[in-house]
Amino acid sequence: MTAAETETDTHTGTGTETVAGPVEARAAAPAATEPAGPEAPGVAAQGRRFLWRRRRVLVALGGWSLLEAAHTFLSGYGVAKALDDGFLAGRTGTGLLWLAVAAAGTLLGGLAVRGVFTALAGLVEPFRDGLVRRAVSGALAAAIADPARADNSAVSRLTHQSEIARDSFAGLVLTARSFVFTGVGALVGLASLDPALLPVVLPPLLLGLALFLSTLAPMAAAQRAFLDADEALSDRVGAVGAGFRDVVACGGQGVIGAELDRLIAAEARLARRLARWAGVRTLALGAAGRLPVVALLLAIPWLLRGGATAGALLGALTYLLQALLPALHALMTAFGAAGSRLLVVLERFRADPALPDSAAPEAASAFPDPGPPGAASALPDPGPPGAASAAPDRVALGAAPPLPARVLSESAPAVPEPTAPEAVPVCPRPGPPGAAPAPTGPAAPEDPGPPAAELRGVTFAYGPGARPVLDRLDLTVRPGEWLAVVGPSGIGKSTLTALLAGLLAPDRGTVTLGGALARDPSGRAPLQRRTLLPQQAYVFSGTVRENLRYLSPDASAADLRRAVAALELDPLIDRLGGLEATVGPERLSAGERQRLALGRAHLSRAPLLLLDEATCHLDPDTEERAERALAARPGTTLVVVAHRISSALRADRVLLLDGDRALCAPHDELLARSALYRDLAGLWETG
Amino acid sequence: MTSPPPTATPVARPPGPAPEKPGDGPGKDPEDRSAADRLLWRAARHSGGRGAAILVCSVASALAALAEPAVLGRALDLLLGHDPAAGRLVLLCTALIVAEVVLDAVVALLTGTTNARSTAWLRGRAVTRLLAASPEHAARFAPGDLATRLTANATEAGTVPASAAAGLAALLPPLGGVAALLLIDAWTAAAFLAGVPLLLLLLRAFARSSTESVSRYQRVQSAMAGRLLETLAGAHTVAAAGTAARERHRILTGPPGLPELAAEGRAMWLVYGRAVAHSGVLMPVLVCVVLAVGGIRLAQGALGVGELVAASRYAALAAGVGAVSGLLGAVVRGRAAARRTAEVPALPPLPHGRALLPPGGPGALELRGVTVERAGTAVLADVDLTLPGGATVAVVGRSGAGKSLLAAVAGRLLAPDRGRVLLDGVDLAALDPAELRREVGHAFARPALFGATVGAAVAFGAASPDDGAVRSAGRAAGADGFVQRLPGGYRTPVADAPLSGGERQRLGLARAFAHAGRLLVLDDAMSSLDTVTQREVERALTQQVRPGTRLLVTHRLSRAAGADLVVWLDRGRVRATGPHHELWRDPGYRALFAVPEPDTEPAPAAAPVPPEADR
Repeated sequence: MTAAETETDTHTGTGTETVAGPVEARAAAPAATEPAGPEAPGVAAQGRRFLWRRRRVLVALGGWSLLEAAHTFLSGYGVAKALDDGFLAGRTGTGLLWLAVAAAGTLLGGLAVRGVFTALAGLVEPFRDGLVRRAVSGALAAAIADPARADNSAVSRLTHQSEIARDSFAGLVLTARSFVFTGVGALVGLASLDPALLPVVLPPLLLGLALFLSTLAPMAAAQRAFLDADEALSDRVGAVGAGFRDVVACGGQGVIGAELDRLIAAEARLARRLARWAGVRTLALGAAGRLPVVALLLAIPWLLRGGATAGALLGALTYLLQALLPALHALMTAFGAAGSRLLVVLERFRADPALPDSAAPEAASAFPDPGPPGAASALPDPGPPGAASAAPDRVALGAAPPLPARVLSESAPAVPEPTAPEAVPVCPRPGPPGAAPAPTGPAAPEDPGPPAAELRGVTFAYGPGARPVLDRLDLTVRPGEWLAVVGPSGIGKSTLTALLAGLLAPDRGTVTLGGALARDPSGRAPLQRRTLLPQQAYVFSGTVRENLRYLSPDASAADLRRAVAALELDPLIDRLGGLEATVGPERLSAGERQRLALGRAHLSRAPLLLLDEATCHLDPDTEERAERALAARPGTTLVVVAHRISSALRADRVLLLDGDRALCAPHDELLARSALYRDLAGLWETG
Repeated sequence: MTSPPPTATPVARPPGPAPEKPGDGPGKDPEDRSAADRLLWRAARHSGGRGAAILVCSVASALAALAEPAVLGRALDLLLGHDPAAGRLVLLCTALIVAEVVLDAVVALLTGTTNARSTAWLRGRAVTRLLAASPEHAARFAPGDLATRLTANATEAGTVPASAAAGLAALLPPLGGVAALLLIDAWTAAAFLAGVPLLLLLLRAFARSSTESVSRYQRVQSAMAGRLLETLAGAHTVAAAGTAARERHRILTGPPGLPELAAEGRAMWLVYGRAVAHSGVLMPVLVCVVLAVGGIRLAQGALGVGELVAASRYAALAAGVGAVSGLLGAVVRGRAAARRTAEVPALPPLPHGRALLPPGGPGALELRGVTVERAGTAVLADVDLTLPGGATVAVVGRSGAGKSLLAAVAGRLLAPDRGRVLLDGVDLAALDPAELRREVGHAFARPALFGATVGAAVAFGAASPDDGAVRSAGRAAGADGFVQRLPGGYRTPVADAPLSGGERQRLGLARAFAHAGRLLVLDDAMSSLDTVTQREVERALTQQVRPGTRLLVTHRLSRAAGADLVVWLDRGRVRATGPHHELWRDPGYRALFAVPEPDTEPAPAAAPVPPEADR
């Protein structure tokens, strides 16, 4: 198996020398050096559960392995008998017959190996599946916890590390099993040839094994340090590759070069440390595998006096050199190299973070029980998760526009009207300004329904010592209202939308949507209540239809047509090849991705739409038409983080964030009241 | 357009670590191969002494292994015959075995240290050449791919010198084994040799079928990796939409996904198991055959028991060609890996000279006949420009007009294919690189930040400005405010700072301001700033940052209007140059701003030219 071992070479070791060869070769490589250290109980416990669930595969594996032990037994026993009863006794025929028995045992062993591999696949493939699932879940959990820092290293976990684990695990199972069963076969064989052989052979064998075992823990530590160093280097090189233009532009080659050289040298140092342990391990292997031969040789006069035959000695040598030595080789290589790598890699897969299941938490958070008392009682019992949570919204969309508001209004009396603090006057909802007639009449001004969204005394900072991004902010957005959020970059506009969407929890104060907490105490967001479109529009490899229906997978063809028509997506979709055409993010421009995402938002059933610069890659015309189309969507409350002042002109009201204070008023009023706003508006108009 | 079968869908070039390349077999290009071999040869020479030591120790160990069966057999014969001379042979045999064990340990140690040394050398070389290359050339490697080439590939390539040395020695036991068989008894040798062709056949059969299933397996893997990368890129949406569970399902099930992966995986194990079973059967059967022939010869009185023992050991040694093929395989894989690593040091360097700029020059920039070609097409064609020192010059034009290329050429991030770029009369190609980067700064629309902390990221560069300079650059770039809101201010680790695109952009500007020289190239570097911030930054740029020439690539009317001079690019050519108010008379020029075009630039490209699919 030369070039053949592209992928699978680490799990050799079936107790034959042809197989052990490459293993030895690899064992010498430093990267492939390490042991099972003091492993975490978590890994062990999970491993036991994993194996217990696959009892039947294990039984099959044991059965085939037993066949392998029989093969080992016959290999030495047949040779001994061939010599004693055949060739040395002058009965050539008998000798050949016994050798034929040994050869037949070998064929049996071959059969056993094939069976072992079949059973092995039944163990290793589910193992790998589990790792891949964890890699994906872990990456997604981390990414949604902190989208700004979505980290691509998970891809290496999915491809590279899961393969290391798979190969290592297979290698361990193969070799450990092979060693045990070969050992049993050989010891039984030795005992049946001459029981006196055991006390001669066993002590040096056990001595070598003990030496080997004592190296495991320090080698595991060395291996771990080495892998960490390798990963650090890999991360750094990846970062340099990604930002190489900037490195050159800054003239930072010297700084980066020195840094990379340091990392390379550190890794080389650890590799040398590993090499020293590889030397020790080879000594241990030599002791365990070769000293029994020496012992046998030295004990021969004693054994002969005890009546041992020449055949028994040849048989014993066959067991030692042809069965045990290769099995030992394989075992030590596997445990030395694969074992520790497996542990190190498995630690990165340890937890399988539970991902929020899209159905269940919605039900929980869309109708939170701890919400305003009246609201909860007035709402229909959510009942079983998915079904119930989807239903009211579907009704809301299909029926008269302001239905969500009306539904909520029944519970309204219980919700106290927020008191507007002096600094942030909650202005009465103005009629639709002439410039921007909101086609769907938002809930009538006199509608006393709970606000579509409300912030009360919300404070948020990105760290205990940091200056708050939002400080005691109060805001009420009425059902059907169109609110634009403006302010200088980095003033907290995105933070505000994340708070409204329930993605962030305020440090102080409360955020409610339709009277219910935007983020329930367990950290779940009311998915059915709001749709947040971030600046980075997400398009995945799939059909245009799948992409459009992303937020409402069961949307009807008619809904889809309406959304497509409303956002004038027809030309784009035609160009992409129709609704059934496959698109991928790399084939669309940023603007096209945003347009698909806007279509998606239109199709979603959430009454509150939060656009966080979601139109920044569109031209102003397209942006305006898109915003109006979304505002015209039945029952929609629209909050737009404005990319251009024109967005603010169209809105019913404008929330101006300026870092220290927040002002909320219609455009004209803000122009009159805020110098900053005049500044913003003036500049934007010319820009 | 029909949807292509999923497996045929090219996976988005992952911005992260590249999945292992399926079937990344021997390169077809002989030039690549010889470059890789030359590199490996130099790496081997770098650790020549160690390589020689490995060779000597391996050979000595092999010789001991070859001598051992003969001595063991002889000792056995003498012991069975109760000959008192046996003691000496037993001692000799013990000495041989101990020598083997010790030599093997030394070889393991030396192999490890040599591999470490070779790998570090290969990496060092690749890093040096990479850092001397132009960003445009380096961009052909996706970041993850580059990381793989410098880590996993370099590690594998680094094993070649030691594997080659050990491989030479590994030839000895099989060859010596056959020779010894011949010496002991020609019939045993004949029996053994008859079985060898079968062995080779089996090994070849395995090589074929295995690589096929492996590459299919890897294709499924990279399809899954591609979907994961997509989803990670859409993390904001997935977080907001609460669709993580659905994304997980989509990534895992594909198709192709886990079911296909498991099917291919099982196929791999079966193929592999068959091969192991075959080769595992073969060796003991060969030994049995040798024993049978030897047994017959023993019965005939032509052989002693000891010689029979020796013959069986020699047969086993001779059958152990697996060791050779294993090392050979390591060399083959190492060479393939070396080819991938070698492509990094093979990057053409961005040429520089030793010239210095005239001190105190105003930063006058002149482009003469500058042409940049891509795939045979001029993407910048014969650009002639003279920009007076100290002027603020806006570069406008539709997407794809070559604005960013012009900016890159002006700051020598890119060497033009033809033509010259002069700064204060000195050709940039002749300029000392340190002087160049000191005097020419860049800021980008999507800057990549280097440095452990936010402050270090601003300070990053050829020179290291002090904390005060970093802060004032931060203030000038409108970054100071949000940096103060970070948990640790300027000391916040970049990795812990939740930065928006606009905030990154301002840190990129701050970095350029902190190092400002006589020419500052801002390539769309304020695109994510709101107009108030932008105006403040512009004011700071004129009042607080070191004065000099500014080259601004922009889409915004206000910036063009505020510039001293506007360069209007159209499909790689200068369509017009002049003050904004003069150009404004041209309806074509007005059309550039009338309906600001949607941003049609493809997703974030770290470098001026999108990375090619890697090979």
